[in-house]
Amino acid sequence: MEKTRIDLNLESVQVREQRLGAITSWSGESAAELVNRAECGGLKDRSRSFSQCLGCSTTHGACQTIMIQDSVLISHGPIGCSSCFHDFAFSYRVSGANRGLTELKQRHVYSTNLEEKETIYGGMQKLRDTIRAAYEREHPNAIFIVTTCAAGIIGDDVESVTNEMEKEIGIPVCAVYCEGFRSKVWTTGFDAAYHAIARKLVKPPVKKRKLINVINFWGYDLFNEWFKPLGYEANYIAPYATVESLGYASEAAATMQVCPTLGTYLSHVLEQEYGVPEIKEAPPYGIPQTDAWFRNLGEVLGLEKEVEELIKQKKEEYLPKIEALREKLKGKKVYVAAGASYGHNLLAIARELGMDAIGAGIFHHEPRFDNGSGKSDVLRKVVDNYGDVPNFNVCNKQEFELVNRLYNLKPDLLLARHGGMSRWGAKLGIPSLLIGDEHFGMGYEGLVKYGERILETIENDEFVKNLQKHAFVPYTKWWFEQPVDTFLN
Amino acid sequence: MSEKNIRQIAIYGKGGIGKSTTTQNLTAGLLDAGKKVMIVGCDPKADSTRLMLGGLAQKTVLDTLREEGEDIDLSAIMKEGFKGVRCVESGGPEPGVGCAGRGIITSIGLLERLGAYTDDLDYVFYDVLGDVVCGGFAMPIREGKAKEIYIVASGEMMALYAANNISKGIARYAKTGGVRLGGIICNSRNVDREEELVRAFARELGTQLIHFVPRDNVVQRAEINKKTVIEYEPKCGQANAYRKLAEAIENNQNFVIPTPISQERLEEILVEYGLMDSIKDDYRI
Repeated sequence: MEKTRIDLNLESVQVREQRLGAITSWSGESAAELVNRAECGGLKDRSRSFSQCLGCSTTHGACQTIMIQDSVLISHGPIGCSSCFHDFAFSYRVSGANRGLTELKQRHVYSTNLEEKETIYGGMQKLRDTIRAAYEREHPNAIFIVTTCAAGIIGDDVESVTNEMEKEIGIPVCAVYCEGFRSKVWTTGFDAAYHAIARKLVKPPVKKRKLINVINFWGYDLFNEWFKPLGYEANYIAPYATVESLGYASEAAATMQVCPTLGTYLSHVLEQEYGVPEIKEAPPYGIPQTDAWFRNLGEVLGLEKEVEELIKQKKEEYLPKIEALREKLKGKKVYVAAGASYGHNLLAIARELGMDAIGAGIFHHEPRFDNGSGKSDVLRKVVDNYGDVPNFNVCNKQEFELVNRLYNLKPDLLLARHGGMSRWGAKLGIPSLLIGDEHFGMGYEGLVKYGERILETIENDEFVKNLQKHAFVPYTKWWFEQPVDTFLN
Repeated sequence: MSEKNIRQIAIYGKGGIGKSTTTQNLTAGLLDAGKKVMIVGCDPKADSTRLMLGGLAQKTVLDTLREEGEDIDLSAIMKEGFKGVRCVESGGPEPGVGCAGRGIITSIGLLERLGAYTDDLDYVFYDVLGDVVCGGFAMPIREGKAKEIYIVASGEMMALYAANNISKGIARYAKTGGVRLGGIICNSRNVDREEELVRAFARELGTQLIHFVPRDNVVQRAEINKKTVIEYEPKCGQANAYRKLAEAIENNQNFVIPTPISQERLEEILVEYGLMDSIKDDYRI
């Protein structure tokens, strides 16, 4: 696989379809078939003749930038384009406590509120006024602008407005080009956010710091626990980062990501531009991958011996507990519905705990990564470490497909990460567990914690069984008799 | 994008004034002087490179995107023509549908991504549709792209009216970015006291008449033969006129933020230069 050459002079990021060959619809025999086809370069997106809902790049551009402590977000578009951003404000507040951050400033999101008039006369003046107003009210250290379809189509020159306003207000004003129509793969919005951060906030290094960049969402503060014995601290990016801490990301000793789908763009840029080595191993879920990941970390930091010691200690502590859980969970049937690569990681957790992964619907698939390394391919690792996963499809959150799968496969447990997915399990009487914190299941200890939660969920099924009796499922018998890929051309 | 300072130039002017003809002929002059040039046609009609390629031989960027998808090589949208000039036609949707402005944004974005702006280039010319009707048509003069603009005009009132309007747009962009007006190119229509009139008009805008290109039928003949004058009849006076224009642009140091004038002032100048008593009743063309 080849590395992507990323050009930070370009305003907007290249979309995932072109950069990574990403797809959002696929249905075949199994996970192994998907990874094998992807490696041969024979992966093609299948178009949908029916679709219930989709995500948008603008939301994903906002997702990362809204959570930077001392910045403010402006959506440059019609007001509706920012109507779901309050969700992130909620996550920010709730998950901040898990990072030990209790004094967090409430998230305020601004919209330029483009209307009919602006689509005719241009929205640039409204954008200038909004930047000014946001600056005067909040005095942030940076302002992010996420773009929308309307702004993109009328051809507003957002870049020149941001440059002009930077001079006026004296703080970085970063445009995130994430117009929804540009990409079918909504995670392109993550890349757009990181492209903006890399272009405008990351500064050239002056000195080296004992830091490891952690590109992540809003999981609990696991990494400081892990890095402390090695003499390093976590520099979390981008949720809960500050404009300053993003600035010195170039001075870190290494970059890791909790999810290659989220983080490889920025970690690759940091390596390409500033020589910050990227930990390319897929994240530490399941024993073999936790071993591999820790060893990669040791190798990058030059602390191989210390890391071996850490692995040994942790295994002594946790392996017996994992073994005990395996006994209880053995043979339980699991279905996974989540994004790439977290969904793949959930498969690793389930398999490691002795469960039987009977299928998965994963929101998108990237056959390659910006770093060009096969080590970051989580699904390949899962297949290699634990064997194939049947009934594997790529499905961009189409709930009708999920319900069809759950109805026909009748798993003992549904594992999910995104809101809205687990309710279908519950309505069908299937114990369902949704854990949004990616850090929760990491490492050897993560297997124990996750295993305990799974056990709790399976054992306490009375609620879902009752719910099933009263729940209304809107799909007809006909649909449950159809193959899941009926609406894929 | 390239580290070297490529001179990126946008040519604007009233529809039908001869922007494409002038751009290609002056490019031929630059090519004659050994310069490396790329022409990017930003007009949905896609006729900005016809004289360079010996016909409408170019598949446009937007047709290519539509038919072949986005995973394409530079060679699919760029063709070499007269003396190695690189030609790209943005193209656009069918008249009356879609959004041609967005088409230009997409095309230029694609060229940047595919690495069309190579270090060996001396010039990039954007030949833009006559009227800058929306944000997309201003794409070539956004930051990091064309920094120089030349307006093609003649002594006809509507050409000057359009040039004045375009100057308003340039002034707006120049306030925040680095774009500057390099001058007015007069593409003569043989109207009364044309050179003086356009010179006076240019002065009012705070710029210069960079070159007066006389009217000559050889241009028409060369066009019919799908060639620039320099290629078709290299030794004729008109070919030299284009070479001089190319030289004037090569040596130009006069870049300004234009000062557009009012409609009343424009009409005053026209009266002053166009309707003198001595030629009052002489309507011969």
